[in-house]
Amino acid sequence: MEIFRNIWRHKLRSTLTISGIVIGVFALTTLGAFAENFNALLDGGVAYFGSSIQIGPPDGQSAPILPISKIDEIKQVQGVAAAFPGYSFPAKPGQLSFSFGVADTIVASDPAEASWGSIRLTYSQGHAIEADSQGQVVLGTTIAKEFKKQVGDSIDLPVKPPDAKPDFVNHAFKVVGVLNQTRTAPDNFAYINIADGQILLKDSLPAPLQSTIDVTKITLGIAAYARAGTSLAELDKTADRINAQVPGVKAIRPSILVDAFKQFGTFFTGLTTAAALIALIVGGLSVINTMFMAVAERVREIGLKKAVGATTTNIMGEFLVEATFIGLLGGLLGYGLGVLLVVIRNVFFPAADGSTLFLITPTLTAIAIGFATVLGAVAGVLPAWRAARLDPVIALRTE
Amino acid sequence: MASIRLEGLTKNYKRGSEVIRALDGVTLDIDKGEFIAVVGRSGSGKTTMLDLLGLLLKPTAGSYLIDDVNTTKLSDRDRAHLRARKVGFVFQEYNLLSGLNVLENVMLPLRYIKDGKVGRQRAIELIERVGLTDRIKHRPAELSGGQMQRVAIARSMVNQPSLILLDEPTGAVDTETAQQLVELLKRLNSEDQVTIVLVTHDTDISGQAKRQIRLKDGKVLTDERLADTAVPVA
Repeated sequence: MEIFRNIWRHKLRSTLTISGIVIGVFALTTLGAFAENFNALLDGGVAYFGSSIQIGPPDGQSAPILPISKIDEIKQVQGVAAAFPGYSFPAKPGQLSFSFGVADTIVASDPAEASWGSIRLTYSQGHAIEADSQGQVVLGTTIAKEFKKQVGDSIDLPVKPPDAKPDFVNHAFKVVGVLNQTRTAPDNFAYINIADGQILLKDSLPAPLQSTIDVTKITLGIAAYARAGTSLAELDKTADRINAQVPGVKAIRPSILVDAFKQFGTFFTGLTTAAALIALIVGGLSVINTMFMAVAERVREIGLKKAVGATTTNIMGEFLVEATFIGLLGGLLGYGLGVLLVVIRNVFFPAADGSTLFLITPTLTAIAIGFATVLGAVAGVLPAWRAARLDPVIALRTE
Repeated sequence: MASIRLEGLTKNYKRGSEVIRALDGVTLDIDKGEFIAVVGRSGSGKTTMLDLLGLLLKPTAGSYLIDDVNTTKLSDRDRAHLRARKVGFVFQEYNLLSGLNVLENVMLPLRYIKDGKVGRQRAIELIERVGLTDRIKHRPAELSGGQMQRVAIARSMVNQPSLILLDEPTGAVDTETAQQLVELLKRLNSEDQVTIVLVTHDTDISGQAKRQIRLKDGKVLTDERLADTAVPVA
């Protein structure tokens, strides 16, 4: 109770001091939530690219296509347990949008590949695409929200842009499933069958080529998988063996992709966290100032407490608890405001593409409140030390 | 058996290159339950002696025993613990905490000895004994000077100390209130057998003590036992 009274004794000063912490923690919470959301996306990339080998055309080849027959050759390479063709197309061709997420993408893949990937997809509605079916689509949660689609609805893919050319072609797909949120790339994917993907590939070719190229014989990329539990280093070796043994393809070492994701994640987290920490440290300085003023005003009180038996540790503890409490209070308020902003943004003002921008995690919660509390305690050390070292004889007779 | 023994107690201060002997080799025995007034002119060493008795200062030389504990070589922490158990303070300016009510102010010393509910009950009884039960939830700003000093006296006794030290306790109140406070002190001294050492300039007050020690230039000039202190000055 005495802590409340001491803090409340100077309402304006305490409010301003706590506000400094609030602003810092608010910045840490919102920027941290922004980074956490982005990191969840990157973690998905790390998981996916860390468990498969991406294979594309060799260096120097301008056309981004591969003979589908390469899959059989790749399967012969030691360490390769499975390989699948893959096709992907922009779901909203010709539309530019600024986003921190993945662009909406149509992905055509073999349903059997789902059991090899590291990201396990589950369904909030419906089911997976049926084998050998045509015109079926499974939507990621973000893309389903964006186009307000659920199981049973129809969606035209790719989405026709407002300035589409007269020869623009798209196809009606029936939504048979909607995925649960993964917070990574699949949220923005529309999954279709290989056969449908090949039709879209044909649509995308220049008219003269459409009749000359057999799209069932080509793929835009190949994903190779090793047995479950294979290390990243071993996957790298397998990629090297593919490059050595299969001509006309280029396998990218998974570690290169994983490192790129991790480096970007670290940089982004560092940037946002550093900005927030600067704001918070400024708040911490105001706690130091306030606590020094509190010590100066309460010299006689400190003297009295020492006279009635308080030890140096007792006095130091009392001031430290007060500074820590200021930090905790500022932390809780700043975190609360940050969460409020995140909820308002995510729920009431969602992005046009349905994606979320912020993600509050238990780690972020612990860091935001914990750091503010520790900052308060650290900021209180020097003033508390000064208070504890006061000579009671002098303190008692201070005017 | 003396409960307090000072042997050659000396306290020097440095002012630049000059050494000031604030207390100069004082030797005294104080028995349990004595009511002593320490008098003398300003600079005679009264306050220094009070601070040494209260373990707020360390002597430059000599020794100070309280209930057979030699305090001279104790650490700051042990001195604080001993102060919490053995010594109560009353100051001229009351030194009550403005944010705490009467009961909380009286209970303040208990915080440092962790005496729990027993201490709280004792605090309530002491407030009753000093006649402030009806003000128990009041803040210092709502009390008169005399009432505040009664609270300070109750606070000084809550830890059941061996020694209560009072520094000009009547200096900030009128004559009538001062006399009431002295009556209260005499009653507590008589009922609890607590040793009281009171520093004052007021001869009306010092004349009511059982023993009067006069200091001059840091030394004991006179040490008299006053015979008829039971009868207050009319």
